[in-house]
Amino acid sequence: MSETSRRKLLAGTGAGVAVGTVALTMRPAAAGEARRTPSSAREPVVAYIEDHRAGTLRLMVGEREVVVHDHDLVTRILNAAGGE
Amino acid sequence: MSSHREAPETAKDPVADSTDVYAFVSPDRPDTVTLIANYIPFQAPDGGPNFYEFGDDVAYDIHIANQGKGEPDITYRFKFHTAVRNPTTFLYNTGQITSINSPNWNRPQFYSVTRIKDGKSKVLAPKLACPPVNIGPRSTPNYADLAATAVHKVGKRRVFAGQRADAFHVDLGSIFDLGTLRPFENLHLIPSAATPGVNSLQGFNVHTIALQVPISEVTRFGTQPTNAAKPGAVIGVWASAHRRTSRIFDPKVGAYVGHGPWAQASRLGNPLFNEVIVPMAKKDGWNAHRPKGDHRYAKYVNHPELAKLLPVLYPGVFPNLAGYHKARADLNAILLTGIPSGVVPGFQNFTGPVESDMLRLNVAIPPSSSPNNLGLVAGDAAGFPNGRRVDDDVVTIELRAVAGLTIPLVDPSFTPDGAVTAIQDGTSNTNTATTSTFPYLGNPGGGYQTVPGTAAV
Repeated sequence: MSETSRRKLLAGTGAGVAVGTVALTMRPAAAGEARRTPSSAREPVVAYIEDHRAGTLRLMVGEREVVVHDHDLVTRILNAAGGE
Repeated sequence: MSSHREAPETAKDPVADSTDVYAFVSPDRPDTVTLIANYIPFQAPDGGPNFYEFGDDVAYDIHIANQGKGEPDITYRFKFHTAVRNPTTFLYNTGQITSINSPNWNRPQFYSVTRIKDGKSKVLAPKLACPPVNIGPRSTPNYADLAATAVHKVGKRRVFAGQRADAFHVDLGSIFDLGTLRPFENLHLIPSAATPGVNSLQGFNVHTIALQVPISEVTRFGTQPTNAAKPGAVIGVWASAHRRTSRIFDPKVGAYVGHGPWAQASRLGNPLFNEVIVPMAKKDGWNAHRPKGDHRYAKYVNHPELAKLLPVLYPGVFPNLAGYHKARADLNAILLTGIPSGVVPGFQNFTGPVESDMLRLNVAIPPSSSPNNLGLVAGDAAGFPNGRRVDDDVVTIELRAVAGLTIPLVDPSFTPDGAVTAIQDGTSNTNTATTSTFPYLGNPGGGYQTVPGTAAV
């Protein structure tokens, strides 16, 4: 079960974020199974990690960009991308 | 040139490569201003079966700055959609196309026009038709009449998007061969015999986005200014093309699919700015930046590389220019701030101290009854660098300005070299004639009837 599902999104205002983007900070929430929220994306999403040390994940969805700051999530994606 | 393939990235992305931008008070409707942005350079008219078209995955913007901040105060956005009517044929057209709604046109293109102001978007027209390209007399007979039906009225505005003849002329082969100017070949560091200039763009087409709007729609106070000395009489104009931040190749359909916000891939204001002012290593970054940040490129305007090269390439021809080492306040004004009052008698197109590359048009100056294609430097204040008309010879104007012709406007102690007023690139305008009415650019050359390397037919 993805740990993403056990996280809670807290809206933030990322300084320096490009126009048209939204910054979100993800923090651990109570353990439990992931559930889609009413605002959950219903279209393809592209995830982009530019700097493996920064803990920042950029999500391209529709005509928006969502910036997520979550070292743990980024680490797990990097691990998955590393294969094996 | 003026911005054809001007940067490494845009050279590889023709549908997002803006070639020229024009802004002028409409000569036949002087209560309106015409804004034109051309894309897709060097279109051979016979380039089928997949003829040229706008990018469905590109957002095309024409911006107006009227507050002196170097930021878009009004944006007109054009987005395109291409259809395939008959999926069973390889043909662009399955018979004669005698109307823009013809079922024989297998690949029609449509577009929306959106006006963005104060962060609010309003769709002015959701679906307008482009004309087909000019294929030939069998496929697109009476092309001029056919294309004319693609001039749409949207309220008090007129809009057109489709193929036209390129109006720009320049001797690319000569200039990019170590700065050769045909009139001075024998004086070049590597001399050769004089030969006639070659119009490199002769016979090629472009794709044009043209918009004609009431002047009162784009000015600071929502009026039609009559006093050219007032700051509110000047608008800044530039175009930009945008691609989605992320593109994923979808092998199921064999095409890229875009995701994320629109990001600026190219822009164009003054002709030749990115082409001959900005260094190669900075060109792609310049295309991605907004004009407001152009102070970072001011050093290349103030001390242009071309002005240093001319005396080297033509020994003894430009001694006064060679000895001039001050910052080029004349070029800074022409390209980055507009010309303040008091420099050229009776004229100004100053937009304030924010250095930003854009065309600057004083809309209170009426169209000229006898236009001079050398514009302001020849005493015609309705022409470049007061905006830009389709027939303005911007290559000659800018070559002469860089060579020192305009220095005395701001530094009377300087005397231009005698050769300056003779500078040109040796070409004559052998392009298809422009027209006296909207969209002003001539009909595109036809694929059947145009012989490569010759004037369009």
